[in-house]
Amino acid sequence: MTTNKPTILVYVYEPDRAIINEIQAGIEEEGVLFEIIPKTEINAFDLAFEAANESVLGSGIGISGKEVVLQMRNLNRDKPVFRYHEPDDQTCRKLGANSARAVKKMPFKI
Amino acid sequence: MKLIAGVDIGNSTTEVCVGGVASDGTLEFLSSVSRFTTGTKGTVDNVAGIKTALEMAMEKLNRPVGDLSLIRINEAAPVIGDTAMETITETIITDSSMIGHNPSTPAGAGTAVGELLSIRHLGQGDTGTPYIVVADRSVTYEAVAELLNKAMERMQIVGVILQADEAVLVENRLKKKIPIIDEVRNVDMIPEHKMAAIEVALTGDSVRMLSNPYGIATLLDLDAEDTKAVTPIAKSLIGKSSAVVIKTPHGNVKENVLPAGEITIVSKDGNRRTINIDEGAVPIMNLLEESGEIQDMVGEAETNVGNMLSGIKNNMENLTSEQTGSVHITDILAVDTLAPVLISGALAGETCMEKAVGIAAMVKTKQLPMERIAQVLTEQIHVSVKVAGVEAVMATLGAMTTPGTTLPLAILDLGGGSTDAAMIDETGTVRMTHKAGAGELVSMLIQIELGLHSRTTAEEIKKYPVGRVESLFHMRLENGGMHFFEEAIDPRLFGSVVLIEPHDLIKIEENVAMEKIIQVRKEAKQKVFVRNALRALREIAPEHNIKKIPNIVLVGGSAEDFEVPEMLMEELAKYKIVCGRGNIRRTEGPRNAVATGLVLSYIGGKHDDE
Repeated sequence: MTTNKPTILVYVYEPDRAIINEIQAGIEEEGVLFEIIPKTEINAFDLAFEAANESVLGSGIGISGKEVVLQMRNLNRDKPVFRYHEPDDQTCRKLGANSARAVKKMPFKI
Repeated sequence: MKLIAGVDIGNSTTEVCVGGVASDGTLEFLSSVSRFTTGTKGTVDNVAGIKTALEMAMEKLNRPVGDLSLIRINEAAPVIGDTAMETITETIITDSSMIGHNPSTPAGAGTAVGELLSIRHLGQGDTGTPYIVVADRSVTYEAVAELLNKAMERMQIVGVILQADEAVLVENRLKKKIPIIDEVRNVDMIPEHKMAAIEVALTGDSVRMLSNPYGIATLLDLDAEDTKAVTPIAKSLIGKSSAVVIKTPHGNVKENVLPAGEITIVSKDGNRRTINIDEGAVPIMNLLEESGEIQDMVGEAETNVGNMLSGIKNNMENLTSEQTGSVHITDILAVDTLAPVLISGALAGETCMEKAVGIAAMVKTKQLPMERIAQVLTEQIHVSVKVAGVEAVMATLGAMTTPGTTLPLAILDLGGGSTDAAMIDETGTVRMTHKAGAGELVSMLIQIELGLHSRTTAEEIKKYPVGRVESLFHMRLENGGMHFFEEAIDPRLFGSVVLIEPHDLIKIEENVAMEKIIQVRKEAKQKVFVRNALRALREIAPEHNIKKIPNIVLVGGSAEDFEVPEMLMEELAKYKIVCGRGNIRRTEGPRNAVATGLVLSYIGGKHDDE
């Protein structure tokens, strides 16, 4: 499914609630729009890759359970910008902010 | 074939050149090497660096160092440089009376005035008073928004100060839009129940009211006396995207003008001339020129400049192990600069640009103990070592191997510690001079003005052009061009300003705009190298008229800089002089002139030194 709104796409499969909340907060604080769309794929790499390439802004996040991947358009599927397994709240907040900073062309929060 | 090595010990690098002399006297250059100088120039510590450089040069020929028949070391100029910086104004803001910083995402543009109140004490607020609420990191954005929404039903809340980076998150959940400042590190230092004014600038703009003394007066209802007292606050808030000014009774803010002190210049003819340092660099340099040849310089005791000059002298005494009082400063280069100084009592790590002066000083020491170095070197590698020739003469000899040069010829040796000039005419007469200030002063100025933590970063900024990584696949170069990467680059570089090294990109950790870096870098080079080149050339030129120098060859480490030679060429073109970066032996670029000159002078000279 593609959308024409300028949003960061977050493709999810049975995502962890806390993770998704913090990622949302991270994007929101940076002032960029986003959409969360449930998918049937399980692999977070696939989810992120698809999300980034379908996002008008070229920035996508894949969440599968407690696996999180940040991707940008045209990057190799297996070499995402960031990937975490069971990240803590702060890491999720930063990942959300970074998906927005990728759009704003600002340095990532590391 | 006999192998002869020339060794040039400089302030920063040791250069070696190896040449082979055939039985018919013809010379062939075989290899050259450049290494960091170990220890202070002219001390026995140099031997370690010389040995490594010689080994490396001989390795290229697959021969041991012992195969050399002679090593020639330059009679190094007995001058050593040092740099120092002192601020001459100082802003002291005590009692935490302001915050001014650039959070990346504040919310709700506008100004507000109210009494400061902690979010934990919302219950204590009255209905009639406007409040600015302060919340620390431990309260989540959801809780902050909920508490504020509830409190707003019965009291007037006009602004918020947050410790966490959550301004937009809170704003999006508030029913009423008010200015919110976030990322204030030390919220616990904000005094409660004081009146405060807060301002958030429109996106891309900077604060207007709080960077204007009358703006602060308007918001906080100040009289003429208090308005005068808040002027330093207004000054330090210029260019910030958000700000808070807290009204403390008896304004605890002052701008100190530090006792900058006077410099006394003692000429060789016994004349003493005195100038106050806060007159700025230009009058100081003019006075210096008036003074002619200089015996020594002293700073007024118990002042910044006094401490600075005696610090330099002490440093030199320690390094050269000369007796106290025997070291004299014979030249300085003073440069005006601005230094960001941390404001005492700052709540978010604010700095204020203070007026400062940077000084490079040059110390004339007794003749450097080169014979001693030669002796130690001989003992260690069993090759005969000879101290031969004055540095400037050797440099000129070496510079003449640059294609397209002719006599009379002047060289400008742009080094690390000093800028040297020499001129040789058809009769072989040499005039030379040494001026304080070169590459190291440029690095210091870059470090100070950009507020960099490490000198290494400043050195790298001096050496390489900058670019900004705009996507994982391309970067914008400082000349406006674009560079594309074949593969996605390291995401840590994304969005950052980077230095373009030939084979790598170096990220600049400090948050400084690319334009600012370029401006500071170019100005520092202009202030030091262009000014010093003119100073030095005027001194060696026939009748002190630069126009009478037909051609100038730039040599030394800083002549390799990617923009300094162009700056000098532009400046000297006004005098119709042929000037350019040297190309020693057609292959070495501007380096290795002295070492080459040492080998060359062996051919020209008498050979009784073996």
